[in-house]
Amino acid sequence: MRRTLAILVGNPLSLLGLFLVGIVIFSAVFADFIAPFPEHRGAVVDFANFNQPPAWPNIFGTDLVGRDLFSRILYAYRISLVLGVVVLSIATPIGVIVGLVAGYVGGKTEYVLMRITDVFLSIPPLVLAMAIMGVLEPTLTNGMLAVTSMWWPWYARLVYNLTRSEKEEGYVLAAEVIGASRAYIIFREILPNCVPAIITKMTLDFGFVIIIASSLSFLGLGVQPPTPDLGSMVAGGASYLPDSWWLTLFPALAILIAVFGFNLIGDALREILGADQ
Amino acid sequence: MNKFYTTLLAATMSATALGMVFPAVAIAESVLRIDEVAVGELDPAKASDYADSILMFNVYDTLILPQQGGPGQVPHLAKSWSSDGNSYTFELRDDVKFQSGNPMTAEDVVFSLDRMKALGQGLSFLFADVQSAEALGPNTVRFNLAQPYAPFVASLLRLPIVDKQTVMANLGDGEGEMKDWGQVYLSANGAGTGAYMVNAHNPQDETVMVKNGDYFIGVPDVAPHTVRLRYGLEAATVRALIASGEHDISSQWLPPEVLRALADDGAQLLTEAGTGAFYVKMNTTKAPFDDVHCRLAVTNAFDYGAAVKMIAVTDEISQGSPSTGAVPVGMFGANPADQILVRDMEAAKAHLSACAYAPEDINIELSWIAEVPLEERFALLMQANFAELGISSEIRKLPWALFTEQVSTPENTPDISQLFVNAVTGDPDTLLFGQYNSANAGTWQSPEYLKDDEVDRLLAEGRTAPTEAGRQEAYAALNARLMAIAPTIYGFDRQSVFAASNRVKVPALSDPDKAFGLDGMGFSFRLMEMTE
Repeated sequence: MRRTLAILVGNPLSLLGLFLVGIVIFSAVFADFIAPFPEHRGAVVDFANFNQPPAWPNIFGTDLVGRDLFSRILYAYRISLVLGVVVLSIATPIGVIVGLVAGYVGGKTEYVLMRITDVFLSIPPLVLAMAIMGVLEPTLTNGMLAVTSMWWPWYARLVYNLTRSEKEEGYVLAAEVIGASRAYIIFREILPNCVPAIITKMTLDFGFVIIIASSLSFLGLGVQPPTPDLGSMVAGGASYLPDSWWLTLFPALAILIAVFGFNLIGDALREILGADQ
Repeated sequence: MNKFYTTLLAATMSATALGMVFPAVAIAESVLRIDEVAVGELDPAKASDYADSILMFNVYDTLILPQQGGPGQVPHLAKSWSSDGNSYTFELRDDVKFQSGNPMTAEDVVFSLDRMKALGQGLSFLFADVQSAEALGPNTVRFNLAQPYAPFVASLLRLPIVDKQTVMANLGDGEGEMKDWGQVYLSANGAGTGAYMVNAHNPQDETVMVKNGDYFIGVPDVAPHTVRLRYGLEAATVRALIASGEHDISSQWLPPEVLRALADDGAQLLTEAGTGAFYVKMNTTKAPFDDVHCRLAVTNAFDYGAAVKMIAVTDEISQGSPSTGAVPVGMFGANPADQILVRDMEAAKAHLSACAYAPEDINIELSWIAEVPLEERFALLMQANFAELGISSEIRKLPWALFTEQVSTPENTPDISQLFVNAVTGDPDTLLFGQYNSANAGTWQSPEYLKDDEVDRLLAEGRTAPTEAGRQEAYAALNARLMAIAPTIYGFDRQSVFAASNRVKVPALSDPDKAFGLDGMGFSFRLMEMTE
């Protein structure tokens, strides 16, 4: 663990990743204290001051009804992070359990579980999420539900493959010989050996979840106004390019920072943990 | 030596010839590029929105045209007309040919009306009171009305004349003698007398039209030879295309900020003076807006000045002008242009105290149409305005399809709906009857569910009064009544603004003396002038 951290900090790229993710988490957690206009996350209008380019005190400019973009981006990070955490903390356990059981038990169980997984994998992720959001009302909760439903199969597939190779290892055979239960073998013997790969994938996925959620709200299926959301800010501002560039550029950069940061850390983790194995 | 001179002579002659030919070719091949929202409905009996109207007014002709620069109509396919009580007789020109080469006769006019009524789509409701049309001779046609309807002649601006022979030769599958009335054919082909012929048509993508060399009153040489009408271009795309000289006239749906940026870059701004307005409609069947004082409180609290500022494009040009009441300036019954509505918080508070509901008990549902982003800004403006009265509100985004479904019952209709409504023939009847007649309650343009006998009586008087003075008086009284009972916040009088390159001159959209006063008619390509 200590060695992992040392490598993370020692590598300039992963250090940059840690720094970017740090910015994102810090902004989201302390938005109430950093945002110059915290009330602008709600329904506020200031038509004396709308569509203004970056200038003090609106360092990212103002939007089409005069709200401070910087403040709204800070609050939008909060929603993106909550979404990423919730989606991954639901999708990962489901996918991992399905993969472990299918991979270790085998037979009909494996067949049924993996074919269901294949069905989900065969539908393009964004299309599946759009279909779900089209039927349900576009709210934050339903957005999380939609993204979760398309995310777990990837974990199932990953863990299934790992389990298939682990179950032939000597330590598993040894546990079977001394009469350990299936549950014990799956969760106490095999799972710990899959954890590094799962954690790496979660870090990499965090950025992608943010992108998918932004894509949904770009299409008008995500969080509803006046709640700030990076994807809808980019979509709303796109009509005003190139003149009112700040409406699109800053929210887009905000997405870039978050996704880039999480990906850099994910890449570094993959190298480190892969070497450990 | 001889050979040298011959060569020189030949070179000079060909250069001269080229010089003579080139400008002629350039004018003959001039291309006008414009855009509108999808879809472009080519069937003239189904035309209803702006893109459809552009197609209809160029591919087809009507018996009359609006008078340029003033009220009233002038002859077009018709030479003259007369009315006798409930019947109208039109003498047609005898020198008009369809694009197919068939002559245009009274039979075609009768067929066009029958087809419009049989399909019952688009603006066919304008002809609900027309019982029949009959051909009295090859060039004489009579319309018989069931009851007096003063705006009848104006409604003929929406009756494009279709080539009967061509349609009958191209009937598709369907029941009965008329099968599909040629719907399949006319949704992809033109069959009119118009100044432009359809060359290619894809309703989601693009329509290409070329000049009709045999147009009955001719098309000037400076008019564009080819017109490419593209559908569904993004605002940012149009912005870039015009700036780089690859597009000529934008649609009117660009946000004011984008129009302003184009004007700053040197584009000209074209305007089409409104025959419509922006209406903020209150559901008068539910609390709190079933109380007239609550309605008057919010109409007085609405910030009319901020609304007009929001839609301003430049210091001189705006997507609307200040409202003076229920009837837009320039129509029968309108108030003078200088009597503009202004915000009055004292009056608002006085009305609120007379209202049966306490402000703290009121929570208004403010809806906006998802397809019109500008309306979100108005929703946010009203939320702030009403908050100053102590009234809270919630903003709700409604897609157009869902909105039209919800307004069919008063319980589901939002407390506040925002709508742009136009007089489709330029006559106030087509603007106001559909909105405020109690029998029409619950359509997309009447979410007020207004039930007022006085309003109904004045609307009937306006459409049946025999003289213009009588109509003027009826609509002035109606305007006053609609202000007094305030079912609606009359936001602003609408004006369409288009950004255009300097390759084209459009007198009908830039010179008030040439303006038609009818939405879409300004896009008559034959009256445009290409400058390069």
